Amino acid sequence: MTRILLKQRLDDCIAAWQKAGYRVLGPVKRHDMSSFDEVQKASDMDLDLILTERTIKDHFFPQTEPLIRYKIGRQQIDSETMTPPEIKRVFFGVRPCDASGLAIDDPLFGWDYRDDYWFRRRENSVIVAIACTRADDFCMCTSVKLSPDSTEGADIMLRPLANGNGWQAEALSAGGAALLDTVSPMLQEDSSEAAPVPVVAAKFDVEKVMAWLADKDNFESQFWKEISLRCIGCGSCTFLCPTCHCFDIQDEGDTYSGIRRKNWDSCSFALFTMHTSGHNPRNVQSTRWRQRIMHKFNYYRGKFGVNSCSGCGRCTRQCPVDMGITETLQAISNLPR
Amino acid sequence: MGIQEQYRSEAAAMLSSGEVKLVIGFGAGSTADRRRPVFARTAEETGKFVLDPACIANLTTYLVSGGLLSDGKKVAIFLKPDSIRSLNILISESQIRPEQVVIFGYAIENGEIMPLSGRSISDFTEIGGRIRSATPPPAVLQEAEQIEAMSPAERFEFWKAQFSKCIKCYACRQACPMCYCKRCIVDVNQPQWINTSSHTLGNFEWNIVRAFHLAGRCAACGACDRACPVNIPLRLINYRMGKEVKEAFNYYAGECSDQQPVLASFSQDDPETFIL
Repeated sequence: MTRILLKQRLDDCIAAWQKAGYRVLGPVKRHDMSSFDEVQKASDMDLDLILTERTIKDHFFPQTEPLIRYKIGRQQIDSETMTPPEIKRVFFGVRPCDASGLAIDDPLFGWDYRDDYWFRRRENSVIVAIACTRADDFCMCTSVKLSPDSTEGADIMLRPLANGNGWQAEALSAGGAALLDTVSPMLQEDSSEAAPVPVVAAKFDVEKVMAWLADKDNFESQFWKEISLRCIGCGSCTFLCPTCHCFDIQDEGDTYSGIRRKNWDSCSFALFTMHTSGHNPRNVQSTRWRQRIMHKFNYYRGKFGVNSCSGCGRCTRQCPVDMGITETLQAISNLPR
Repeated sequence: MGIQEQYRSEAAAMLSSGEVKLVIGFGAGSTADRRRPVFARTAEETGKFVLDPACIANLTTYLVSGGLLSDGKKVAIFLKPDSIRSLNILISESQIRPEQVVIFGYAIENGEIMPLSGRSISDFTEIGGRIRSATPPPAVLQEAEQIEAMSPAERFEFWKAQFSKCIKCYACRQACPMCYCKRCIVDVNQPQWINTSSHTLGNFEWNIVRAFHLAGRCAACGACDRACPVNIPLRLINYRMGKEVKEAFNYYAGECSDQQPVLASFSQDDPETFIL
């Protein structure tokens, strides 16, 4: 017997969470784009989407974030730290790859210094993941050793029932258990079976890829030039990635007052590594694409013990020139040795 | 021999003889319905070329990136009429020397690939007439009419919602053959003329700056619109800017390769109705 949440009780759950002070966000399609946004009722959500175009990362590490408001006077400089508001949030219907993305980024944001902006939001959020029942040609979670029902980063795991009426609910953290408690009257004990998890065939051998990347002789390989020839150097793969986390600090305002902001930045951009002198150590696109792959499957692992990829496939799915991590890692897997 | 095979063998011959150093075309993509840009430098590599109605990308963007043509050597490229229009604009803006580009022209008509004869831009002068008589796709026209029927406040709300989605990934700029500036104004940071922040105001700034820079220069190929990962209907901006230029100057960007860029040239007959 497992605890079951029936779809018909979802509106009641949302109301109960709102009453308990939570803001509820779910997958929605608004203005021709799918993303996580606030919802009031179950019908606001599109829970059948394989994946939203935007990731939930946006709600923890927004594309632009004010850090400090400053004012320079004749005698003194006033500055005020701007912290994100303490809002309790439920993210309902998160795909396992997006939830994993948060878990992958946690050590990064807590490494040499604790990023209060990230953790304040993380600690006030409950991630309710729903296991996938469908996958598309771009899904590659199994290739990075996750799966359509991975529990990484999730506080609650919902497994869709085979009969389509609801989900098996399992709390995976204290926060998740507390959230389920708030809706315990809406849950029922049942023995309904879960729907089968879709088969996502492995697209590359990540161990082989990691070994090749770790070999310093391959850093200057012609491979990088060939594989990235058609890259046009936009930032869509990095900005749609659930784990890419690079940012730039910018002061916006005039000479006397303004706001210091943290803005997304992308290793795909030529400007990313441009020195003040004009020298650019990554002066061609192939070196930028190599950086992206090396960072995800070598450097990040070396530092934090995990690869910085949760296999969502957005990099390929939304690439204007049909590139992406899958093709590159497949090609590395298939290199003769 | 089908057009795909014909172009493959011609491309192979050009590479073998050294007539061109590179051929830019299309190849199979990561799914059955996707095609991706493919680059061939040897005769063998031309076997990868695919030419079918899924080949809709505008490849001219590669001609003006990475200094490809700076060595004076020739490049062959697969182009359909709107891409040829882009090439015309790039030539008229002195970005490309026409003798450096060999064209494998094709059109997609009723789901079929039709070859376009000629290999040099000077063989494609009939493109101009086609551009003048062409009507925008009905879907674009319908969307544009809906927006033009809105009140200014409604229209502002529409674009605010659309631009709020922008993440400043610059896929629109990178996919666009006309965005060939070595350093885009938004990347000039000494001083930082335009804020990099991707908040609603910053996104308005970016999209309006780009619209202005593209006015009278857009081939309406749709590359930016297709590239946008958050589905901003950039086609509507391009359509409207094209319409403004047409009405003010009777000008159609890229109808030939020796036209004077409308907003970068001066004539005593220029209408001055916009001067207040």
